[in-house]
Amino acid sequence: MPRPIREMVTFTLDGREVTAPESTMLVDAALEYGDVEIPVFCYEPKIGPPVGACRMCLVEIEGVPKLQAGCSVPVKDGMIVHTNTPRVKEAQEGVVEFLLINHPLDCPVCDKGGECPLQDKSFGWGSGISRTVEPKRHFEKPLALSPLIAIDRERCIMCYRCVRFSQEVSEDHQLVLQERGADTFVTTFDGHPYVAPFSGNIIELCPVGALTSRPYRFRARPWDIEQAGSICMLCPAQCNVSFTVRDERVLRVLQRDHEGVDNGWLCDKGRFAYQAIHVDERVTEPLIRDGGTLRAVPWELALETAAAALRRAGGRVAALAGGETTNEEGFLLQSLVRDALGSPDVDSRRGGTLPLELHRALVAPALQASVPDLQYAHAVLVLDTEPVDDIPILDLRIRRGVRHQGVRLFVATSRPSSLDDRARGIVRYAPGAGEAFLAALDAALTGEGDVDALAGAAGADADAVRRLADGLRDAGEEVVVLWGERLTAGPRGADAARALLNVAARLGLAGRDGAGLLEVPSAANGRGLREVGVLPNAGPGLCEPSAEGRDADGIAAAAAAGEIAALYLLHTDPLLDQPSRRAWGAALEKASTVIAHAAFLTEGIAEHATVVFPAESHAEKEGTVVHPDGRVQRLRRAIGRQGDVRGEWQVLAELAARLGADPRVLTASMVSQRLFDAVPFYAGLTLDEIGGRGVRWPEREQAGALPTAALGPFALEAPPAAATANGRLRLGAFRSIWAAPEVAASPALSFLRPLQRAELSPADAERLGLRHGERVVVASNGHSVSALVHLRQAAPEGSVFLESGIAEHSAANLDGPLVEVRRA
Amino acid sequence: MPWNPEADVVEVVRGPRKAGGAGGLYRAFGETLRGLKTTFNQLARVGVTTVQYPEEKIPVFPRFRGRHRLHRFEDTGLEKCVGCSLCAAACPADCIRVVAAENTPENRVSAGERYAAVYEINLSRCIFCGYCEIACPFDAITMGHDFELSDYNRSDLIFTKEMLLAEPAERTPLRTEDE
Ligand code: SF4
Ligand code: SF4
Ligand code: SF4
Ligand code: SF4
Ligand code: FES
Repeated sequence: MPRPIREMVTFTLDGREVTAPESTMLVDAALEYGDVEIPVFCYEPKIGPPVGACRMCLVEIEGVPKLQAGCSVPVKDGMIVHTNTPRVKEAQEGVVEFLLINHPLDCPVCDKGGECPLQDKSFGWGSGISRTVEPKRHFEKPLALSPLIAIDRERCIMCYRCVRFSQEVSEDHQLVLQERGADTFVTTFDGHPYVAPFSGNIIELCPVGALTSRPYRFRARPWDIEQAGSICMLCPAQCNVSFTVRDERVLRVLQRDHEGVDNGWLCDKGRFAYQAIHVDERVTEPLIRDGGTLRAVPWELALETAAAALRRAGGRVAALAGGETTNEEGFLLQSLVRDALGSPDVDSRRGGTLPLELHRALVAPALQASVPDLQYAHAVLVLDTEPVDDIPILDLRIRRGVRHQGVRLFVATSRPSSLDDRARGIVRYAPGAGEAFLAALDAALTGEGDVDALAGAAGADADAVRRLADGLRDAGEEVVVLWGERLTAGPRGADAARALLNVAARLGLAGRDGAGLLEVPSAANGRGLREVGVLPNAGPGLCEPSAEGRDADGIAAAAAAGEIAALYLLHTDPLLDQPSRRAWGAALEKASTVIAHAAFLTEGIAEHATVVFPAESHAEKEGTVVHPDGRVQRLRRAIGRQGDVRGEWQVLAELAARLGADPRVLTASMVSQRLFDAVPFYAGLTLDEIGGRGVRWPEREQAGALPTAALGPFALEAPPAAATANGRLRLGAFRSIWAAPEVAASPALSFLRPLQRAELSPADAERLGLRHGERVVVASNGHSVSALVHLRQAAPEGSVFLESGIAEHSAANLDGPLVEVRRA
Repeated sequence: MPWNPEADVVEVVRGPRKAGGAGGLYRAFGETLRGLKTTFNQLARVGVTTVQYPEEKIPVFPRFRGRHRLHRFEDTGLEKCVGCSLCAAACPADCIRVVAAENTPENRVSAGERYAAVYEINLSRCIFCGYCEIACPFDAITMGHDFELSDYNRSDLIFTKEMLLAEPAERTPLRTEDE
């Protein structure tokens, strides 16, 4: 449903005329357009429509005999509203008194004290005296609602924001209110801990100290701390966050509401993984390998060792950049490798690159959908990605669109998605058969081609594909396709990308407002890194590079063959991040020098790195990143760098200088400026313009500077058929939201660290005689991993899904497409 | 109009315009004698005694605002302070630092859910206004009577929780009713 167009209406507020858009709720209109604060507790437009539970917002409206709840009355033309008459005052005092009847008022020991809406409202609108002498209601306290959240039921004022969040926003349906009247309390239905990917948001929603963060418990008061705005760099969603800093330590992460990015929500990884900044395992000084072990050394020695090794390698150097790399670091890295070392081998993608033409086509401004488009489109197609794992916050955005804007949701993935139950149509295809599926969808949309054969090749149900095509066509013009980068990984990635562009062309997405493609990169700043030239076949601004290099797979093969002497790993451990663990194991073994920037000594780094530079955490970094929808956002330093950590742009610039190509940059903002000058479609950007909210470059005038590329439709050869299972199972890999070194290192989150599980359909399990929770061995070509069986009703028959991105028993140990599953 | 520094330069006089002479003599002896007049006057007065500080101290009033003290409950021995930081919020000199922590059944320090793991007052910044005492919801901190707060090192003037909880080594005498 497209965004509603709202007319302005004029109403009278406390004797003044105020103009506001029609059907804005009175409290919002009064605050935003009339500068009058009407106190609220339960009203929170981010959650959804008002419920009128607390009655704090009572106002007098002329012509209506009773006082009205301002949070649930939309403004109308000519309405006359009073917010400060004696009647309203008396009602407000009454409501405050009522809310405090059972409230313990233990502010001195309450974590919310000092930033508590109940304190503020009692102070501002209450009578100031208590008449209550009766005993108050008591609950056991404090209790753990989950390992992350503490609940104090005595303080709860029954606004049920938390319950509404769980029921209507994250739709995990875990929190409920039990009992009635004064005995009501918030709990999970059966009393199990409230563990969900977005559970932490209820801490910020709760207007009193009933729900508090356990990791932040008693750490600081609002006057002890400073808030520092930045960007979360733990996944491509790049949510806007605000770090709570006390004594140069990050103590908490809060949302920094941005309608165009996160809508004011955060996932628990972003909210709690800050703990990894301050753990002992973190690398905070440069290390070099000395007789087999890594040893801390002074910076000078580490830099000289690295520079000497790179010099010795004489051009036989390759570099990989991982997700936390900023645009600036990526830019300096590619210039270090290309200009100072004369090697063309740099990459930031997983599983191969695409032709330059396609890179350009996929970021073409005409085809870009923005994040809010997901909420207001007619239809959304989720293609080969699981938003909850890959870009969590968009999962909430899609749910919001479906619930409140009537978006028609379609899901086409191989692994069952958590969005399935909100979808109008679901297509399951074999893992890795995205190309064939898209060809089938294309055929169904155009009516040309053999849908049955193509759907068969994809391992999908032809009727489901036809229904999907009809659904997309009937929904309306504005269609957003949210697609995962893994669709275009592998040797046939280019064909899959072309097939995707074909579907976009059939749906007429190019140039249409509110429609388009939205990519979910597999690394946090994946899009930015490509745009600044960390690709083997593209320089800064997706220009032609002077020489084309090898992509990640090519680098692994060349290194294993001894053609590459030095590997430069910027924030990436290929053993965790790349699809094939064995290829990279051999490559790292063979390379004589491995220089890494890392925050944690993950397996590949601990065993193979010869020089390790400490990596900055996202709270210590300065620079810019690019959101998947093209929004250039700015990272700002919240805390001083811990230990001996140095700015990584400085390290890269210093190395380049030692290798004879001094980039002559003295400050981080000089690097940003250099970058904006080098990328034509960022031209004229400044850090000030980006500011705290970011700028979408596809909307800027300079976007035209992106070299144009054909957007299809393309004539494509028939895609290869997915492997037939025949006794064995097709292997699909996924990376869960919790598969990150930061999660494992954060004490509060480590209970969520994923263990390998094999997701199977009940039919396959029955055929193999396996039960839920049983230990199995998944094997292919003589390699095997151990996993626990996890039955999923919606899993397609003939496939098994394993977790990648984890240290032990990762799916990256196996070669697809077929694997054998047997009892351990 | 741009400011012209020449226009009204204040003349700074750093010494007598003319050295020596009668004026010089007066400054050397006359002024000195004038100052000594006060001293001699005191010598001449009878019945007034000099208090022999530090051997002898003038008793302070009960509401004298000296160095702070933290208190414990007499019956349980638990600290009264719950580490709420309200004193720190009230302090106009910003010289109180509180870092709270949670009480556990094995380690119960205060009566509430939380206690002050770190409680420090930087007495070199304190202006002895007593706001902290007024802010405290548990009467955990009060202004004591000690006023002997000099030291060789500024950092020694940061009083920790242990120092503030301890009985002062020497009690400052208190003025009695009729004094
Ligand atoms: S929730 Fe607010 S009002 Fe209630 S005890 Fe905590 S700080 Fe005080
Ligand atoms: S726990 Fe907090 S958010 Fe939930 S109903 Fe109670 S007061 Fe509202
Ligand atoms: S007496 Fe005043 S200045 Fe000194 S610690 Fe207390 S509040 Fe701060
Ligand atoms: S002394 Fe009083 S005000 Fe200060 S932290 Fe302790 S309890 Fe709170
Ligand atoms: S804010 Fe209006 S009823 Fe709660």
